[in-house]
Amino acid sequence: MGKQLVISVMSKDRPGIIADITTVIYDLGGDLADLNQSVLGGYFTMLLIAEFDEKITPEDLFAGFSHIKSKTKLEAIIKEMTVNFEVERSHLPEETYIVTGQGDNRKGLVKILGDFFYCHNINVLDLVTTRESEKYTMIFQVDLTHIASLDVFRDELSILGEEEKLNLFLQHNDIFMATNEVGTQLETILAD
Amino acid sequence: MLRSDQIMATVEMVQKENLDVRTVTMGINLLDCRRGTAKNTCRCVEDKIAGYASNFVEECDLVAMRYGIPVVNKRISVTPAAFVGAGFDSDEFVLLAKSLDKAAAKAGVDILGGYTAHVEKGMTESDLAFIKSIPEALAVTERLCSSINVGSSTKGINMDAVAMVGRTIKELALQTADSGGFGAAKFVVFCNQPGDNPFMAGAIHGVEEADVVLNVGVSGPGVIAQSLKKTIEKKGRENLKIDDIAEEIKQITFRVTRCGELIGRQVSKKLGVEFGVVDLSLAPTPKIGDSVGEILQILGVDDVGAPGSTAIIALLNDAVKKGGIFASKAVGGLSGAFIPVMEDAVLADAVGKGALTMEKLEAMTCVCSVGLDMVPIPGEVDAETISAIIVDEMAIGMINNKTTAARIIPVPGKGVGEVVSFGGLFGESPIMEVRNVNKSGRFISWGGRIPAPIHSFKN
Repeated sequence: MGKQLVISVMSKDRPGIIADITTVIYDLGGDLADLNQSVLGGYFTMLLIAEFDEKITPEDLFAGFSHIKSKTKLEAIIKEMTVNFEVERSHLPEETYIVTGQGDNRKGLVKILGDFFYCHNINVLDLVTTRESEKYTMIFQVDLTHIASLDVFRDELSILGEEEKLNLFLQHNDIFMATNEVGTQLETILAD
Repeated sequence: MLRSDQIMATVEMVQKENLDVRTVTMGINLLDCRRGTAKNTCRCVEDKIAGYASNFVEECDLVAMRYGIPVVNKRISVTPAAFVGAGFDSDEFVLLAKSLDKAAAKAGVDILGGYTAHVEKGMTESDLAFIKSIPEALAVTERLCSSINVGSSTKGINMDAVAMVGRTIKELALQTADSGGFGAAKFVVFCNQPGDNPFMAGAIHGVEEADVVLNVGVSGPGVIAQSLKKTIEKKGRENLKIDDIAEEIKQITFRVTRCGELIGRQVSKKLGVEFGVVDLSLAPTPKIGDSVGEILQILGVDDVGAPGSTAIIALLNDAVKKGGIFASKAVGGLSGAFIPVMEDAVLADAVGKGALTMEKLEAMTCVCSVGLDMVPIPGEVDAETISAIIVDEMAIGMINNKTTAARIIPVPGKGVGEVVSFGGLFGESPIMEVRNVNKSGRFISWGGRIPAPIHSFKN
């Protein structure tokens, strides 16, 4: 196995930007593993893992990216992975839950829940937030494997919601999979 | 992770639209419990139910808590008791009824179904003894529900049995007169009774089933009603056609069904019991906002029973089946829309206003998934007229190759418009008028059997 690099890039969004970035990686002999991309507020962001020959350095990639034309400079962060990434799909923990939070927009909303999860030794697996007019929505995917009691946790979340005037809701991840993933068999969801 | 709009849509279903699982019903075969005496058979029945169902309620509650989806009812259905006790006399069948009731109490379930006989083609001496035992069996037990299948599309309708059940219903009501004839609310007459229906009072564990299975009834009509309201408000009534409404019902049913099956399969897995079917039926409760009648009003009739009501029920019943069948690996039971008068506040209200009549209700049952359900009628209506109402309903099922049922409650001492209330899930309603009373006795007295209908030449 060669060298694995984790690459993060950000730029003003425009058509063709994925082609430009992946061309640089392809020209340097890179083999893509996992990749996440999204556009937020008109800015394109991409986080990916790729495998290269040992001789390829982060500087080679920076040099390649510097030739990409964009309205704003394409910014990149590249780190060499110290532990090899297992390409095999990792399953979500059995006790994966979704916590949704909605309320009037104000500063510090994500921090409130971030602190709450940290205090309960809960790992956040994924997070998406959106602001629509003055309503702020947060969706946390969390691993509740290590909590002592689901009942107690639910009560504490409810108290937090009342204190912070947030509509907080906890639901097992399987329910969302079952009600939204048309192609996934229920046995698969329960087995995961 | 899924898209945020998908997640929020599901959250709304659970939080604002009261998504739940209406029932998880454990079906248990009792055919292997037969022993040399009634007493020993009863002991074996109690042991077998206890063996399978001892932690049934607890596991349902644990799964419900884990997933944050309430399982409203936990019930048990058993092999039709007339098979289990074949050869018993009426007193021995009552002993069996008491044992079933005791076993249900021990398991912590509120209702057990299966005090049942299938007599669509003919009755044995034992069947006769069984039917005669029903009034006493339901009067001395708390949790037991009873049903009789008097007809089928392949065998016709047993008119002797139809006459008997009319008298049975009268007797049941009289024996429970103190509670408004509540005994009759636990007794239902079927044509084409399914063996995997999880909903009471007609749940049984069919003889064609495995030893133990778990069947699930999905969430009620409240979810559909709330979701339709939201869609109409969001998109504007003027921008929607009726096929858009049908499509919306399909979409919601898909989600509701998947959720129900997920919970059911998880309980199955925990108990090590085979998963049976998902019943897609929309079963209303007397609670405001959990009504099939409300869906009819949302779709455009001001009162249930007004012209157009039958067409709406047809659309609803069909859309529910289409959405649910795609969602589930195994659909069964009754799977459609229930219209139980006393259990649906909007239907009961329509009876009080005179908008919903017996004749219109019967027409609606041609396209709903069950039949004349929880219909309170004046206590003075004679047994033959009750039998005639039942046989009309059975004929609809027989000819149309569908299940139909009749749960008619003659309320002792009360007349048209007076209110009868059973409380809880059984609800309340003004008493419905029965027209043309005492005019069907000659027909019912024929006895014999209405022949099975022809199954070709379907033009």
